[in-house]
Amino acid sequence: MSLLEIDSVTKRFGGLTAVSRFSLGVEAGEIVGLIGPNGAGKTTVFHLLSGFHAPSDGAIRFKGVSVVGAKPHEICRRGLARTFQIVQPFVNLTALENVMVGAFNRTDDLAAARRRAVEMLEFVGLGARRDVPARALTLSDRKRLEMARGLATRPELLLLDEVMAGLNPTEIEAIIGLIRRIHAEGVTLLIIEHVMRAIMALSQRIVVLHHGEKIAEGRPDDVAHDARVIEAYLGASA
Amino acid sequence: MGAEILGGLALGVLLVAPPFLPSYFLEILISVMLFGYLGAAWNILGGYAGQFSFGHAAYFGIGAYTSTLLFLNLGVTPWLGMLAGGALAVVFGLFAGYLSFRYGLRGPYFSLVTLAFAEMLRVVAVNTKAVGSSLGLVIPNREPAPANFIFAGKLPYYYVILAMTLGAVWITRALSRSKLGYSLLAIRENEDAAEAAGVDALGMKLRAMAISSFLTALGGTFYAQYFAYIDPTITFGPSVSIQGLLQAIVGGAGTVLGPVIGAFVLTPVSELSRAAIRGRAGVDVMLYGVVLILVISFLPQGIMGWTRKRR
Repeated sequence: MSLLEIDSVTKRFGGLTAVSRFSLGVEAGEIVGLIGPNGAGKTTVFHLLSGFHAPSDGAIRFKGVSVVGAKPHEICRRGLARTFQIVQPFVNLTALENVMVGAFNRTDDLAAARRRAVEMLEFVGLGARRDVPARALTLSDRKRLEMARGLATRPELLLLDEVMAGLNPTEIEAIIGLIRRIHAEGVTLLIIEHVMRAIMALSQRIVVLHHGEKIAEGRPDDVAHDARVIEAYLGASA
Repeated sequence: MGAEILGGLALGVLLVAPPFLPSYFLEILISVMLFGYLGAAWNILGGYAGQFSFGHAAYFGIGAYTSTLLFLNLGVTPWLGMLAGGALAVVFGLFAGYLSFRYGLRGPYFSLVTLAFAEMLRVVAVNTKAVGSSLGLVIPNREPAPANFIFAGKLPYYYVILAMTLGAVWITRALSRSKLGYSLLAIRENEDAAEAAGVDALGMKLRAMAISSFLTALGGTFYAQYFAYIDPTITFGPSVSIQGLLQAIVGGAGTVLGPVIGAFVLTPVSELSRAAIRGRAGVDVMLYGVVLILVISFLPQGIMGWTRKRR
């Protein structure tokens, strides 16, 4: 049984089909990259997995149990956490308080939540900024904060939505290292990313979405040379 | 540490000084405490969870009417009646809250619905003979009977509302250090992100609603016993709702002491402007309004936010 099974999922918004008969299995311990041009439906897939949208058709199972119709917090409690493409920190709370909200997912105890949050802030490299309000953090730090908040919920599967977008090369290197360390902790990862160098280096398997349909799936090298993928990215004449 | 000593001193003064105060000041202090109490009750839903209720008069009125009707008709002591009123307010609050939250009413839409619920109750009270219609209810026999929440003089009422306010502050402090408190702040900041981080937004908001409406209803019973007279406009009217939220916003919404601090600033301002401008009806309210505009323009986080920034 795969950790995550997406079975022929379709999502329509009125007349627009954002995701069409999309299937994907993610095994425990994998890093899977989800790529595709803008508007391909990647973030919609994340919304479907995390309970923010319900599929129009098809099934999604996490650890063998359907998540269709479950609320986002229920899915989070089952061990599937996510970050947002446009970071959504609790801006008036400190970094520590932000991460504590996630930590309370697994404990009712203030001191335990605090310990877990401190640990996660150290892990993502924000230990020194724990008492800074989130609104005063840089974009790079906000992305780390978003990851720390997700990790504090103790996920088995973490969905990362473009955590490298808008960062400079040095920051990207640091985030790649961080993602490797998250994986080393035993967390399975499904990653949406536009920074090709990063996603190629990180992923064991890459899935390509185009106009809501899966057009390729395989090892990074094979996908990079797939004719349909090159066409999708560069246009029909390439 | 300094803040704790200051707080201890303030508490000492509040406990010891009132017996020596002239009646006029004692009355003002009771108003301060009642408004601070209502602010603290509103703050749990409005300040922490960020759900701006404009209709807390509904719970205030339910509390006032329930205990008074039970006392007048069945002879039930208001000490018990106030718990019944609190329970009824929780039921009503959960009903209104569930309807609003379940259907995703956020921000101003939630505010409008709460206002509508309170107004609905006011109109029902005005049109119901059994609850005194628009004439309201009087608690006639004022023979002191502490067992029935009727005291000789104002001083005992002061200590009752002081205890209630301290209780509300204590509850808020416990809340602010709990999972519920953190969850509410997260919901206030960003409900979607809170849900994604595992916060049961609907359940947490309903919990905040239950605590907030229960406490507000107890304030309604206190009001009825203290003034011995209630009517639909006084108890269910918008001014009660606005008083509660003003204290919290001016003092600092989503802080433990904000609402009480707000009451200590606002109530004297209101009293002073009324005393300073006699004979010109409404001018004192305008002055009060100017103070409010200034506070909200220059201290958007309230007085507590201002002290925090200076630290």
